[in-house]
Amino acid sequence: MADKKKDTATKKASKKDATPKATLPPSGFRVAVREILRSKSALTALIIIILILLLTFGGSLFLNRAQITEMNIVDAYYGWGQGGHLLGTDDGGRDILKLLIMGGRNSIMIGISVTVITEIVGLVVGLVSGYYGGVVDAIIMRIVDFIQILPQMPIIIVLTTVIPNYNAVTLVFLIAMFGWTPTARYYRSFILSQRDRDYVLASKTSGSSNFQIMFREVLPNITSMIIIDVVLTIAGNIGIETSLSFLGYGLPTTTPSLGTLIGFANDPVNVINRPWLWLPATILLLVISLSINYVGRALQRAGDARQREN
Amino acid sequence: MAKEIIQIKDLKVYYPIRSGFWNRITDYVRAVDGVNFSINEGETYGLIGESGSGKSTTGKAIVGVEKVTGGQIMYKGLDVTKASNRKKLDYNKDVQMIFQDSMSSLNPRKRIEDIIAEPIRNFENLTTDQERDRVQDLLDIVGMPSDAIYKYPHEFSGGQRQRIGVARAVATNPKLIVADEPTSALDLSVQAQVLNFMKHIQQQYNIAYLFISHDLGVVKHMSENLAIMHRGRLVELGSREEIYKHPIHIYTKRLLSAIPQVDVEHREEHKKHREQVEKEFEENQGKWYDKDGRVYPLQQVAPKHWVALPEDMAQEAELEEREEKESD
Repeated sequence: MADKKKDTATKKASKKDATPKATLPPSGFRVAVREILRSKSALTALIIIILILLLTFGGSLFLNRAQITEMNIVDAYYGWGQGGHLLGTDDGGRDILKLLIMGGRNSIMIGISVTVITEIVGLVVGLVSGYYGGVVDAIIMRIVDFIQILPQMPIIIVLTTVIPNYNAVTLVFLIAMFGWTPTARYYRSFILSQRDRDYVLASKTSGSSNFQIMFREVLPNITSMIIIDVVLTIAGNIGIETSLSFLGYGLPTTTPSLGTLIGFANDPVNVINRPWLWLPATILLLVISLSINYVGRALQRAGDARQREN
Repeated sequence: MAKEIIQIKDLKVYYPIRSGFWNRITDYVRAVDGVNFSINEGETYGLIGESGSGKSTTGKAIVGVEKVTGGQIMYKGLDVTKASNRKKLDYNKDVQMIFQDSMSSLNPRKRIEDIIAEPIRNFENLTTDQERDRVQDLLDIVGMPSDAIYKYPHEFSGGQRQRIGVARAVATNPKLIVADEPTSALDLSVQAQVLNFMKHIQQQYNIAYLFISHDLGVVKHMSENLAIMHRGRLVELGSREEIYKHPIHIYTKRLLSAIPQVDVEHREEHKKHREQVEKEFEENQGKWYDKDGRVYPLQQVAPKHWVALPEDMAQEAELEEREEKESD
């Protein structure tokens, strides 16, 4: 008995010396990195995204919101590079470049916040629905169906005018209210394919509760799907915010965003004579969306072996 | 007389068939249809049948992961088909399962340590160090190197993975392990290896196995008593000697004749015998199955031998059996 103890003690010592070899099945992070590095468009897109994030988030650290949105009619409608304003000024004499930096940050932040909410809600709903199946699944999916057939835009527009204390946070919740349904459906489909694997049964016979199996066993197996979906929905949600602001139902005019800047194009005079008002924001939005999509596409290839080239 | 550890009484697992406009239940698939048997402490009980005969479903029902339509599974005097009773007994601490497909039964995202420790964490209160020692001991028992603890399932071969599955099943010192075709995905040399580890563990810890398989050779090697299943019902049940030497039911005979034999000299004879049994099966099927194609209830023909027969044939069989015994 004593010998055995010593034996295990030495074993333990040698165990600590040995460096743990931990390699995940090649479907994780490394494949994603490899897939991005391999495709030139994805790599360029990733660099552009990082640059834009640095510019907007870093730049807005040095800016003061009250100062930027201050009206100064004397400076109104300067053109490209006039009066020290690189991208000119708008009707209130506000510097477009600063508005762009601040607005870009706001739009991206809103896109990310909406994505965080929709992903969490969608993931939990999808997990529960897909894992339990049967009646629970049927009820949840009918609710999802119902929300998906509602006309999203008109309802958000009506609610923005009804809600008394309307600001960026309420806008995030309004968009998220409709955004979680496709996410829930998406995750449900993956959970359904995982649910009947033997390792779930093995966990059940090992005495794990359903809750533990859902979050500790099944969830890690769909991480690559989560990454893909997060990246792709961020782009979509920035788009939704921008289109609402463009229509005039998004963020209040005191909060700059890409949508409010693009909104200058509502006036035909601005479209023809003052392109500096709306063109930079439009290009920035286009570049952000395209870049995110390219990176997302590369991640999708990494997550799904069938789409990979080799 | 060994003590019975678990009794399966009239176990039924039906799956509904839905059809029609309202998607109503129009019929049932009778995956398991009234199965009775019991397993003694420390023995290996073989359950044999073709694909789709309901043997895996029976195994899953016994472990408690399949919803049971009817019947009882008695363990320690309680009916464990009810989830509340399973909880009360900590049933899965005593009854574990080894799965057929070792790849899908081990979570690809977890390390071997976490996989084997899962039942220990759920059923026992151990410190992290004790738990690690226990996992290490279990890996020693199934002959795995000690650095396996840090690896992921895909880094092992099929036989090694199946041994990890065995280690997980014995982690909580269970009384009964349902082994659902544990070796059918492995090649022959590795099969022998895994089976020997299973036998070794059985002798060490006095574990009972319900050994589900379609491989009669393996079952002969492993089990003392066995049951043969067909179309969700048992067709023949008894001790190993009775069934391998005096098979009565036509389906059992057919299964036994299908065991390949390495005997080149008598190849033609074996082939003839096989064909004859097959012909008898084709011709006399109506006699051995009732008008709905169901298997008859079991009748006792010898002290340790039950066969599914219509009643008039049962007496004949009993006589035959006695004669055969005398001539032996």
